[in-house]
Amino acid sequence: MKCMKRFMCLFLIAFLIMGLAACSGGKGTDVKTQAPSESTGGGGDGGYERIVITYACPQVVEGYDYNTGDEYSKFILNKFNIEFQGINLPWGEWHNMLSTWIMSQDMPDVAIYNYGEGTHADAANFVRQGLIRRLPDDWKKRWPNVASVYGTTTLGPKLEEDYGGTYFIPRARFFYNLPGDPLANHWSLWMRADWIAAVGKEVKNHYTIPEVLEIAALIKEQDPGNVGASLVPISMDTSNTSRFFLEANSTHWNTFYKDSTGKYAWGAMAEQTLEGLKLWYKAYSTGILDQEFYLLTHEKDMEKFQTLGIAGVSYLGGQTADVERFRIDFTAYTGIDGSAFNLATLLGTDGNYHQRDLINFWGAVCFSPNSDDAKYERWMDLMEFTSSKDGYPGTQMGLKGIDWDYDENGEIVSLVPPGTLLAGSVGDAKYPSLGHVLGSVILWDDLAFDNPNIGKSFREESKALYKNRYDLSTPETFTKVDWKLWMHSTENMRRARGIDYATEFANMVTSATSEANLVELYNAWISSQMSIIQPVLDELNK
Amino acid sequence: MAVSTGGIKKFDFKSYLANTGKNILKNREKYLLILPGLAWYIIFAYIPIFGLSLAFKKYIAKLGLFRSPFVGLYNFENVFADPAFMKSIITTLRINAGRLIFVFPFPIILALIFNEVRLGKSKKILQSIFTFPHFLSWVIVGSIMISILGQRGIVNSLLNLLFGTQPIGFLGTPSYFQPLVYLTDIWKSAGWSAIIYMAAISGIDVEQYQAAEIDGATRLQRIWYITLPGIKSTIIVLFILAVGNLMSGGFEQIFNLSNAATIKVAETLDMYIYRITFRGSVDFSFSAAVSLFRSTINLLLLLAADRIIKRVGGTGLLA
Repeated sequence: MKCMKRFMCLFLIAFLIMGLAACSGGKGTDVKTQAPSESTGGGGDGGYERIVITYACPQVVEGYDYNTGDEYSKFILNKFNIEFQGINLPWGEWHNMLSTWIMSQDMPDVAIYNYGEGTHADAANFVRQGLIRRLPDDWKKRWPNVASVYGTTTLGPKLEEDYGGTYFIPRARFFYNLPGDPLANHWSLWMRADWIAAVGKEVKNHYTIPEVLEIAALIKEQDPGNVGASLVPISMDTSNTSRFFLEANSTHWNTFYKDSTGKYAWGAMAEQTLEGLKLWYKAYSTGILDQEFYLLTHEKDMEKFQTLGIAGVSYLGGQTADVERFRIDFTAYTGIDGSAFNLATLLGTDGNYHQRDLINFWGAVCFSPNSDDAKYERWMDLMEFTSSKDGYPGTQMGLKGIDWDYDENGEIVSLVPPGTLLAGSVGDAKYPSLGHVLGSVILWDDLAFDNPNIGKSFREESKALYKNRYDLSTPETFTKVDWKLWMHSTENMRRARGIDYATEFANMVTSATSEANLVELYNAWISSQMSIIQPVLDELNK
Repeated sequence: MAVSTGGIKKFDFKSYLANTGKNILKNREKYLLILPGLAWYIIFAYIPIFGLSLAFKKYIAKLGLFRSPFVGLYNFENVFADPAFMKSIITTLRINAGRLIFVFPFPIILALIFNEVRLGKSKKILQSIFTFPHFLSWVIVGSIMISILGQRGIVNSLLNLLFGTQPIGFLGTPSYFQPLVYLTDIWKSAGWSAIIYMAAISGIDVEQYQAAEIDGATRLQRIWYITLPGIKSTIIVLFILAVGNLMSGGFEQIFNLSNAATIKVAETLDMYIYRITFRGSVDFSFSAAVSLFRSTINLLLLLAADRIIKRVGGTGLLA
């Protein structure tokens, strides 16, 4: 009996210890701890040794095995003999997840950093601490295609100058088809053209904020689609609502800028910001803006317009690559003809388009300083291919010679039947791996202008939207980058960048009892933030 | 262990060690059983305490925790310069003090009700119904609340149907936020927390009830004079622990129930720490300073509650 008790006791202890060990495994499910596959000898086009590369970005398809998934991913990974281990970063956690890994010196071999004005200070901090791999000084000679794309991003060379070397390779939105400088954003009004016409207003490709509000008020009043109680004249989540009312009216609403006296000022205090805020309040208090916009997620505001067909206006992405797909999905879900889906540019109350230079990049490739040289070199080789003339169309159009090819004039021609879904979700698309994950350095925005798989009229529509952003703006409302401000990465600036403007302004709008009360709340908030803002202004104006 | 030398007891360390060793050897199975728990505490509770030193340092990842430069109270100066920080403290205290008043008594009441239910079967069913919500995550509860209390939710639809009222923004009105927090907290946790009180009630001598019944005590009198005094020590311990948690707790709940419209009344200290750590620039030292401040206040509150309970005749938590 005693022996049995002892045995049970020891068993229990062993069980608890094993449980503890399992729970406390330092690396958890970190794929890096898995032993790389044994070398399979020379492989791929360049006689490469088999290598495992871990990669993190928000567009990795969760649960999808890129190594065996589809013919395109197999082609590209076999070509460079890579065993790919993708880690999906949720959109909302992109920066904080990756930053935490970088700070813990535990980043994947390759990652896409969410580079931007608000994250530059962190990036500079990582570089100073040696937490990001510095590329060798001769990298541009070794990978000339990547280098030429890199040169067009503006940010890349600027960072190189600032850091004294290359740590990040920004991915270019445009390479062959850059619409202009500064670069316009694709964010656009999604509007129900049939409802606009039904309430007696003109369907066009640009509207001022008051014009949109007027149309929305008429839609609310007349309900041209007979939607009934579910009708939402304007449906947008908090982030897009702030873009709509504030960014479209006040270029520097959430940052600093040089005013007419040449001194730096805070954009939240600008007159146009308050004007936009008042319009936001008006739209909310009169019921034309979704009364629960603050509860909407990105998909939900899109859903009300595109899937349910109960919203008249929304403000969402308008990438060239998607303008046709938007219409196809809209028709599939609502049964309404795609022509009822109008895309337009939003202008401020002054009739001008407002935006700060988007800068020709989105996301920057960076490498772990702790992984083998072979890993970053292999990924650079892969990027060298995807930025080549033969490689870059594949990231959007699939396999050369099967899905697309060049004709005798050097134009890209499609080899797939019209309507073929090349990229998209698993089960629907021919190549779910297509996109920016497998080494894209030239993003989809560029090829979309030339992609024969997208109807010409849709491409032309998109080009027109880009064009009117240049035609309907002034250098003061559509500004170039102020690199001094952009690169300012002091502790004070880092703190100031932490202000969540969209949430703060949304809170004022929903809390206000009248327009006068809104102004009081706004003034009180401005005063309360000065302890954070003033030190930055002092630094900038020194 | 202690040797008497002319009336004064002298501590004999050698014999103390020998006795302890013998004791451990004699009860080795029990000590072995304690080992995993002890290891857990050392690894996950005591060793991380060194991380608090970050609050006084400027964290540089390459130098690590110990070699990062010491900056004194610099991080705390920054913490107190942020207007949102003091606001978050007030919000935390307001929400959690309300929890003590409105949420804390519910599991006790529920346990008393369960104890009074005579039929075993209905008791089990009731218990299961009340315990079930504990297993739902706050993310799910948040979605359920949107379906129930949203402007197109069940409650607003019913109100409209019955009284023709306009939709009420239950989830976006700041004044409804605190009641929402308490109601969902009670719904989700009261059944689970009641288990502790029910265990305490089951330890009360049944003869006391029988004697009271013979003496003609009513049900309410039995609850008041037997059950409640019987579980008093459990209530006190849990109350002191709840007071010690006044500056923290409820992050998941607040995070999932709050939105841009209610954030001013919902940004508790935990929410603030989350925002500054993960939503803005990554600054571990700043976050550590806020966390250390929070823990210190929690400790002080716990000690104060313990002392007050002892003063008014309770047993307290600490020796």
